[in-house]
Amino acid sequence: MAYTAEAFQNEFLALGATEVNAIVTVTSSGAEGGRRTAGATEIIIVDCSGSMQAEGRMVAARQAAKAAVNCIDDGVRFAIIAGVSTAQQLFPAPGQLAVATPEIRAQAVGAIDRLQANGGTAMGAWLKLAHQLFAQRPGDIQHAILLTDGENGEYRGYLENVLQEIGGSFTCDCRGIGTSWQVSELRKIATAMLGSVDIVARPQDLAAAFEQMMTAAMGKTSADVQLKVWTPVNSTVRFVKQVEPQVTDLTGKRTEDGPRAGRYPLGAWGSESRDYHVCIDVTAGAAGDEMLAARVSVVEGETVHAQCLVRAVWTDDAALSTRINRQVAHYTGQAELADAIQAGIEARKAGDDRTATLKFGRAAQLAHESGNKATEELLATVVEIEDAATGTVRLRRKVDAADEMALDTRSTKTVRVGRAQ
Amino acid sequence: MTVTDDCASCADERAAGAAFCENCGRALAGGAEPAAGTDCPACDSTGTVGADGYCGNCGMLAVRPRDHAEIDAGEVAGAATDRGLRHHRNEDAMWLATRGTDVDAVVCDGVSASFDPDVASEVAAEAAGKVLAAATGDLAEHVAAAITAAAEAVAALAGIGDPRRAASNPACTIVAACVRDERIAYGWVGDSRAYRIPPEGDAEQLTEDDSWATHAIAFGVEPQVAWNDPKAHAITAWLGADAGPVRPRTATLEGGQPGLLVLCSDGLWNYLTEPAAFAGTVRRAVREAPDLVSAARALTAFANEQGGADNTTVVLVPIN
Repeated sequence: MAYTAEAFQNEFLALGATEVNAIVTVTSSGAEGGRRTAGATEIIIVDCSGSMQAEGRMVAARQAAKAAVNCIDDGVRFAIIAGVSTAQQLFPAPGQLAVATPEIRAQAVGAIDRLQANGGTAMGAWLKLAHQLFAQRPGDIQHAILLTDGENGEYRGYLENVLQEIGGSFTCDCRGIGTSWQVSELRKIATAMLGSVDIVARPQDLAAAFEQMMTAAMGKTSADVQLKVWTPVNSTVRFVKQVEPQVTDLTGKRTEDGPRAGRYPLGAWGSESRDYHVCIDVTAGAAGDEMLAARVSVVEGETVHAQCLVRAVWTDDAALSTRINRQVAHYTGQAELADAIQAGIEARKAGDDRTATLKFGRAAQLAHESGNKATEELLATVVEIEDAATGTVRLRRKVDAADEMALDTRSTKTVRVGRAQ
Repeated sequence: MTVTDDCASCADERAAGAAFCENCGRALAGGAEPAAGTDCPACDSTGTVGADGYCGNCGMLAVRPRDHAEIDAGEVAGAATDRGLRHHRNEDAMWLATRGTDVDAVVCDGVSASFDPDVASEVAAEAAGKVLAAATGDLAEHVAAAITAAAEAVAALAGIGDPRRAASNPACTIVAACVRDERIAYGWVGDSRAYRIPPEGDAEQLTEDDSWATHAIAFGVEPQVAWNDPKAHAITAWLGADAGPVRPRTATLEGGQPGLLVLCSDGLWNYLTEPAAFAGTVRRAVREAPDLVSAARALTAFANEQGGADNTTVVLVPIN
């Protein structure tokens, strides 16, 4: 697996300045021949609560699960969980993992026809069963798809406890169908499990969404890639955020690794490129001092795949220290964009139209400036954008619930900045 | 000659007396190379300096070879370059090679407003120095050829390495000189200078700056007014991809005039704009120092005592 890591920053700091920012671009060319270095296990979790009967959701869910099963490569282990008030394994036999072959996939497709909507929603229990099944295959690339249409029915705090216990042990992509589910709830799961969250408003789009997720999962060739960040004495990591393709704060996921170094999980990797924003607080140096503020490595176990340096050079030359690095500025803006949208949605729900208008206005401005067309279009479904450049917007009287949920779930999607300086 | 070691960087046997390795171009004397496992001068930790030169404890860069470098060619020549107190790195570069009493000397000063000016000066000094090594016959012609080679090498930098170089191409000044027996030729582009210091009296500035102030004075502006203008130090010619055709100015110096040939960057002459003061300070440094390299070091120290606002480089070559 060939990785590269490259840091983009303005290393020049004004005298007395202590904050060092850099965007680290990690790129992998994928494994040789696109082959996985470890095995892979896939688990599909389908909500089978009573509400899934509505609007042909169960029919769509069955089709989607079948489509996903048909995307699983030969030799990959998999299981299907039917989610009701408890977690029930639909395929293969309870406690087992199937090994994909054309015959086994056909059997799984047959089993999916038995999925019936009648029961409650117990996401904590579903994830716990998935975790138990994955535990049979340590070292595998472990990925789950969770589909739901409603709110979790477990007692308060149970899901949080489960996430605390199993967080990061496998990747889980969450999809909500319809508009009765909670974005914040699925986001909580996706964030803890390093996965994605999105809305599938129309049942007929579900099969394509599942196919896309499973195809992406099959493209992963490394299970557990991490970003190792070394910082000098008297320095602290203020934050480490993934900023592209979407904003995910990794700061709290740090595990210590020897003196002055910590590891942040990046999840499974295929042939792809992602950007990270690293912010370090250091002690100020004298004019001309050069400090290594962070040594950032892409690691897998004890193997260091790539490394780059984040530096700090103190100067009294204001022309140097006030230079704005495009990458840092761009992604700082993208992170603020996501925050502004989520704050706008919160304020609108709370009936605070003034704050909502301000936040959405700022979001429109940031989306426009950065060329994030997709987010700007989603914003336009919730507010009328009168002038994106100045951030002048008006709240729409009638907002489709699905549109607002799409804006919420996709608020963290970012666009990449051009590489030229 | 006092310098007779093999090159420490590439183990090549250099030509006798050369102060730069002819194979790898590294200074045989001068700044230290970062060594893994040495003690950190910033936090006093033992053996914490890593292979990349940064301390594994406090993160400070332990050794930067270019912050201060010296070249000792005994009684034939001495040179020193220093980062100064205000700049974050040394963007000056020098080249000094001696063979018997023959001397090739180059001083370059990176243009701070350009990207990677430190690379520009280093590349220019080396390119010019290598061409000077072959100088015989018409020395001025060889000096012009050396500066042209430096100009081409610096211009080529814009197209390689960091893409930001294309937007703000690396650039630098140059002053070069070669001494063969009693014949001396020199040439320049920009505001790095050559002086002749006679045993007594004022310093004779051999070069004429390619700078706004020099042009303004030539057009009749009072020197005091011109030098106090914010644009005074803006250079009107330089080496770099955006420099257009470079026309180095060259001249020769008649023999039989004993004294000292000095090449320096503006980090030194800025503090000594009066010819009398320049001559006095250099003569005092040479008189009070045990050898030429110490005198050169003393002159960089003098610039730092005056404020060290810029990088300072000085090459001293006795002539007769």
